[in-house]
Amino acid sequence: MERRELLKMVALATGGVVIGGEFFLAGCKSKDAEVAGTVFSADNIAFLDEVAETIIPKTTTAGAKEAEVGKFMTVMVNDCYEEADQKTFHEGMKKLDEACNKMHGHSFMKAEPAHRKELLTSLDKEAKEYMKTKKKEDPNHYFLMMKQLTLMGYFTSKPGLEQNFNYQQVPGKYDGAVPYKKGDKLFV
Amino acid sequence: MADNNTFDAIVVGSGISGGWAAKELCEKGLKVLMLERGGPYEHIKDYKTANKDPWEFTHRGATTAQQKKDYPVIHRGWAAYDRIMDAWVNEIESPYTEIKPFTWWRVYRMGGRSTLWGRQSYRWSDTDFEANAKDGHGVDWPIRYNDLAPWYDHVEKFAGISGSLEGLPQLPDGKFMPPIPLNMVEKDVAEKIKNFYKGQRHMIHSRTANITEPLNERTNCQFRNRCWEGCPFGGYFSTQSSTLPAAMKTNNLTVRPLSIVTKILYDKDKKKATGVEVLDASDNKTYEFKSKIVFVCASTLNSTWLLFNSATDVFPEGLGSSSGELGHNVMDHHYNLGVSGEIEGFTDIEEQGRRPCGFYIPRFANFIGDTKKRDFVRGFGYQGSASRTGWGREIAELNVGSEFKDALCEPGKWRMGATGFGEILPYHENKIYLDKNRKDKWGLPVLAMDAEIKDNEMKMRVAIKEELKEMLDAAGVKNLSTYDSGHAIGHGIHEMGTARMGKDPKTSVLNKHNQVWDAMNVFVTDGACMASASCVNPSLTYMAYTARAADHAVNELKKQNL
Repeated sequence: MERRELLKMVALATGGVVIGGEFFLAGCKSKDAEVAGTVFSADNIAFLDEVAETIIPKTTTAGAKEAEVGKFMTVMVNDCYEEADQKTFHEGMKKLDEACNKMHGHSFMKAEPAHRKELLTSLDKEAKEYMKTKKKEDPNHYFLMMKQLTLMGYFTSKPGLEQNFNYQQVPGKYDGAVPYKKGDKLFV
Repeated sequence: MADNNTFDAIVVGSGISGGWAAKELCEKGLKVLMLERGGPYEHIKDYKTANKDPWEFTHRGATTAQQKKDYPVIHRGWAAYDRIMDAWVNEIESPYTEIKPFTWWRVYRMGGRSTLWGRQSYRWSDTDFEANAKDGHGVDWPIRYNDLAPWYDHVEKFAGISGSLEGLPQLPDGKFMPPIPLNMVEKDVAEKIKNFYKGQRHMIHSRTANITEPLNERTNCQFRNRCWEGCPFGGYFSTQSSTLPAAMKTNNLTVRPLSIVTKILYDKDKKKATGVEVLDASDNKTYEFKSKIVFVCASTLNSTWLLFNSATDVFPEGLGSSSGELGHNVMDHHYNLGVSGEIEGFTDIEEQGRRPCGFYIPRFANFIGDTKKRDFVRGFGYQGSASRTGWGREIAELNVGSEFKDALCEPGKWRMGATGFGEILPYHENKIYLDKNRKDKWGLPVLAMDAEIKDNEMKMRVAIKEELKEMLDAAGVKNLSTYDSGHAIGHGIHEMGTARMGKDPKTSVLNKHNQVWDAMNVFVTDGACMASASCVNPSLTYMAYTARAADHAVNELKKQNL
């Protein structure tokens, strides 16, 4: 049940579709990244860390980079994505960089935080629009993948859970009406 | 015990029913051999993932390529979860044949599915026991509620069932520990439903085998909601937490894992079983064990598989096949459909702790007080819960960045959802049989499944959705969405029937004490014995049947009738 809830939550967050996944509902399809011709480099991981950090930046709590979300994304894509989605994801990294060049005149890694945010905001809108009208056989949008994996990787990480929420491995009790006001750390 | 291979009783299977059989028979002084086809799985020690945190799991829930290959059936549903994949049977080693789509969730390991069950525990009522006789489907049950009620008392007290006393005729009250509470939103909706339907419909606390007070050596539920990984606190009923330690305490129990029981040995002169034949799953050698009585608790379909495989020249279609009903009338609960929606308000409260359950809406259709004309017989219930949405929710006006992050760390709106569980009728043509052309890893014939839901269930599904929508709407739940993913038999994990109880040996496999008509010292007390399905979760009823049958068996042994 817990997992079904998780799935539902990720789906809601990103417009109703969980990519890759089959990865939750049907398990990993392609384990060997070599077969798909899609190997991640250290540069790729650094790049994905910055994408993730732009989506979930460091504030008073840790950001996605500190939670090693870049690496998490590569593990999930390698182990759990279908081949077609793996391809979309890899091409997506290039597309994201191209879009950055077009918008700001230089690569994503060189872009300042405000420009990165502007770019990803526009890609998020583009991805949401695209997913609304896409046909079943059309590929998924790469930015949707990156955003989903970022949220999942971050909010199930140690800093993501412990710093933002009141995470209790052993709650010990159930209370169905705890007072809550904005700013309180939620029980999870 | 005369020698190492002779016992008073043999129990086949170590799940919910097998565990109860072993406990009851041992406590009554019998020397018992419990045979489990899978490997050991020790309480606490073998709950490897139970104390890990979410970030310690590489794929945070996802399964691997190899698991996907090995567990195609489990991947049809929602239970392919990295933490529990070791539990499920290796489907490549143990296949089955689907004449019609059939989802069979199996655990071949000590404790069977008792560590992975849903724990919802409801008594049957006389409406259920009388159903076959009244509408003519199946054969009449040989017993009524009063025959089973003391045994429900008996098993509830030991298993530890939390729940509320409601005084509902369709859902008899039991010996409960205090209930796991409804949250404030559920209480509000429950009140509105009660008022709208003038007390004819009820949203109540789940009755669940999670304990809310310490019991024997067990600590009460700690609200982790990770039951399926095994509970280090013994917070819920399983063979491991409950019946096995009780049976071991008597010094009367011998447990033999990795023991596939291939045959019940039958003496045609005495018309009785003399023991069982076992194939050792590790060394492929065959062993014989002798006993005065045999309890078959191998899980519904495997119990019948064992009866099929125990064919002799006297009973060529299997032990217990003389009525022609062995393998027939397979049932389940149909589900995979429901409604969910949003609830306004309650923004100043949240929940602490993760409940292993939620609310229950007992049957109201085709029951006293139902004002609607129904185009189906029997009924259905619902299970569900309300909670606030979390970090995964859609926030339309935000895309990325710190505001987005901050917003996700706050709770979202409350949502409520529920799933229907409907009764499936006993249809003779819904059947299982041995597929003699296909063998498992050990060279044993596999089961073929030929069963489906029919017109009555399809009509009921329409009502399940409509009624839930109406109830939630009446309670002010907004933006309702309905889903229906269809239902293959077995998917409810409540497979029942195939060796039904009855009054007449010509039309049933078992008598009113779960004895095989064709061999009275063989008892089948798991889901195979069911003559109809009700709409409530069945495991508590198997516990009660097993304890009752064990009592009868020991009395009969004393009278030298077996």
